[in-house]
Amino acid sequence: MRPPARGRGGRGGRFDGGGRGGGGRGFGGGRGGGRGGDRGGRGGRTPRGGRGGRGGRGGGMKGGSKVVVEPHKHAGVFIAKAKEDALCTKNMVPGESVYGEKRVSVQNEDGTKVEYRVWNPFRSKLAAAVLGGVDNIWIAPGTRVLYLGAASGTTVSHVSDIVGPNGLVYAVEFSHRSGRDLVNMAKKRTNVIPIIEDARHPARYRMLVGMVDVIFSDVAQPDQARILALNASYFLKNGGHFVISIKANCIDSTMPAEHVFAAEVEKLKADQFKPAEQVTLEPFERDHACVVGGYRMPKKQKTTS
Amino acid sequence: MLVLFETPAGFALFKVLDEGKLSHVEDLWKDFASSESARKVVELKAFNKFENTSDALTAATLLIDSKPSKGLRKFLQKHCDGETLAVADSKLGNAIKEKLKIDCLHNSAVMELMRGLRNQLTELMSGLAEQDLGPMSLGLSHSLSRYKLKFSPEKVDTMIIQAIGLLDDLDKELNTYAMRVREWYGWHFPELTKIIADNIQYAKAVKLMGNRANAANLDFSEILPEDVETELKEAAVISMGTEVSDVDLINIGELCKQVLALSEYRAQLYDYLKSRMNAIAPNLSALVGELVGARLIAHGGSLLNLAKQPGSTIQILGAEKALFRALKTKHSTPKYGLIYHASLIGQAAPKNKGKISRSLAAKTALAIRYDALGDSEDNSIGLESRIKLETRLSILENKELGRSAGSTKGKPKIEMYEKDRKKGAGALITPAKTYNPAADLVLPDATPNKSEVASKKRKHQDEDTAPLAESADLAAEERENEKSKKKKKKSKDTEEAPPVDADGGEKKKKKKNKDAEEPPPADADGEKKKKKKSKDAEEPPSADVDGEKKKKKSKDQDSTMETDASSKKDKKKKKKHAVE
Repeated sequence: MRPPARGRGGRGGRFDGGGRGGGGRGFGGGRGGGRGGDRGGRGGRTPRGGRGGRGGRGGGMKGGSKVVVEPHKHAGVFIAKAKEDALCTKNMVPGESVYGEKRVSVQNEDGTKVEYRVWNPFRSKLAAAVLGGVDNIWIAPGTRVLYLGAASGTTVSHVSDIVGPNGLVYAVEFSHRSGRDLVNMAKKRTNVIPIIEDARHPARYRMLVGMVDVIFSDVAQPDQARILALNASYFLKNGGHFVISIKANCIDSTMPAEHVFAAEVEKLKADQFKPAEQVTLEPFERDHACVVGGYRMPKKQKTTS
Repeated sequence: MLVLFETPAGFALFKVLDEGKLSHVEDLWKDFASSESARKVVELKAFNKFENTSDALTAATLLIDSKPSKGLRKFLQKHCDGETLAVADSKLGNAIKEKLKIDCLHNSAVMELMRGLRNQLTELMSGLAEQDLGPMSLGLSHSLSRYKLKFSPEKVDTMIIQAIGLLDDLDKELNTYAMRVREWYGWHFPELTKIIADNIQYAKAVKLMGNRANAANLDFSEILPEDVETELKEAAVISMGTEVSDVDLINIGELCKQVLALSEYRAQLYDYLKSRMNAIAPNLSALVGELVGARLIAHGGSLLNLAKQPGSTIQILGAEKALFRALKTKHSTPKYGLIYHASLIGQAAPKNKGKISRSLAAKTALAIRYDALGDSEDNSIGLESRIKLETRLSILENKELGRSAGSTKGKPKIEMYEKDRKKGAGALITPAKTYNPAADLVLPDATPNKSEVASKKRKHQDEDTAPLAESADLAAEERENEKSKKKKKKSKDTEEAPPVDADGGEKKKKKKNKDAEEPPPADADGEKKKKKKSKDAEEPPSADVDGEKKKKKSKDQDSTMETDASSKKDKKKKKKHAVE
């Protein structure tokens, strides 16, 4: 289970700004003395306090007109540019946080409001991979995604934001405890299909899942390459893509991480996968790598690429 | 051939139009690349729509268990007469075959076909668009998930896991509270901490007493033993503690109440856990106790998960940190984890803890499997294996005792052992003694380089035996030569083999014995070398005495002589000879 959001964000500090609390406060104080009262109140409520100086309105990222949200190079992902940049996705269910993450509201020129949810790379390996500079996550608006290892649905909620109402996310999770939270999350998001099953037996959910464009796998099991291959053989279309997050320690804790990654990539190649790139999730997770590639790629495309 | 394809909306039967395509599994996907080409390969024959969500739910839950639902059976009977049916699940295929007598097929080609069907599903099924399928699968998945969460089989295990977790928390809390009581009340009556060691007794006494001045007039007989009570009363009079106000004492009293209530609750919880454990895992409880058993279950996640673990894993469950550290640094892995707190391991001497932990873990694994998967509810297996383990433990401990107590008996044994190795100290034969020192000196050094020495020996032997043979009869000479050749061969064999350890195989020893006996004619140098090589020092001299001929006889004689000397090792030799 993951530690509570607050502790983690505060420790990581990169996006929550917890680590730079002192500096932020000083700066804020200098800028707007009148907001001091507000700030104090917030500081007392939460130990975060990093961006206390600026946001008088509650959520740290809710800087009102000061926040500018720009699209990221991956469709469906955005960057909120405030004092510190943060990755975010467009909230499908405005007004609701899934796991206590911050929300950013931005007013368009025509007066409509759009809400974004901040995506914490310390909690989501997909976000870490995006920040790690992966070329293409293949998860884009309108795609259908099979998500193995959905856990409580924190990352799934962002994936559901990305694919939007026209896409679909099949979220597979075996643990009943986290499955409970996943189902609760899925209640509010109609593009998420929760499946409480073992990803090792795709036959058990074959009647629920259609053909998908992308498989995202975050199962952290010694045989995760096999699990991915099995699911791909059932549900991933030819020329579809996979994104797998590999935790070296879960496969072999005695070998150096690089060797484990290399061995896993070899396993994937043996199962008709074509790994295209590998990024390490270094500042966010230790000894993790994210491998992205294609499945049963058509020959023509291969020559062009 | 028909294909059964399950969708969230219902069951679909497709007819394969071109079965020849199935033989080319690799190229099958090309036919499903577009809807037109797919229609040339398969065609929808029938579709059985689920009537409502509950219908879909029952069908899906049965399907997960690889069983055909009633609706599916009717559907298949109606449409699938005398044709083979391709299914995505071989178990489901078997069930259909058994119940409906329809031949079922499941192989990689079928799986590939399913892929294709899934790819072109909406195109192939008229009247079932993508928009319709979405809500169907959403509804079905939600009801399935809810069903799964509601009827979780791990429900009972969860109770145990939570209870043991709470028990541990309570122990921790209770201890901190009790320490706080001592610390707090200690200002008023510091001597009491020494007098009453038990936390609960202390709290009871403090609650009863309040101000220490009251101690003299109170009756502590229900809480404390006689002598402690008198000690307390004496100490109360001459205590060096500070005076505290009544308000303070009331608050301390409240804390004492908390401590007592907590300890009472803990006892209650412990009883609950015990009864739960005895109901769910009676054999496990009998073997390692309720608490350790519950901790094992909590660590494994559930009893069923634990039943899937091998004994070696159960042995070190809870020592993961040490295990992975050991694996990474290539040190020895831990011998026990949670299981260390089992009473059987507590009983064992430190030296035997590792051994008994291994045996206990193996038996525990069996008991867990029996509890998780077995039918009967009694704890006979647990009790049985516990008795077995106890006897094994006592055997282990007794061995230890025997070794240390029987030191006088042990000594001759050690001597014999030396004898055997060095071939020396046969008190009967004097010439043997003259040879022995040389052997004694060389052997320890020689053993590591044995192969070298052995090769040298052989050369010497060959040279030596030849001249000796000349002096003897010609016939004897010939025999000797033959034998020496044999010897050479044999010695080569021994050369190649690594230096033989003391307990080495009998065969090797035999060979060596032969070598040693054959050379008797050889001069002193040769014999010495042989001695080094051969483990029995006595045999070459005896061979000298008996003469060159009839080695076998000489062997026997040797052995008999040695038995006269009544040495056990010689008996062993005898046996070897007998085998020869």
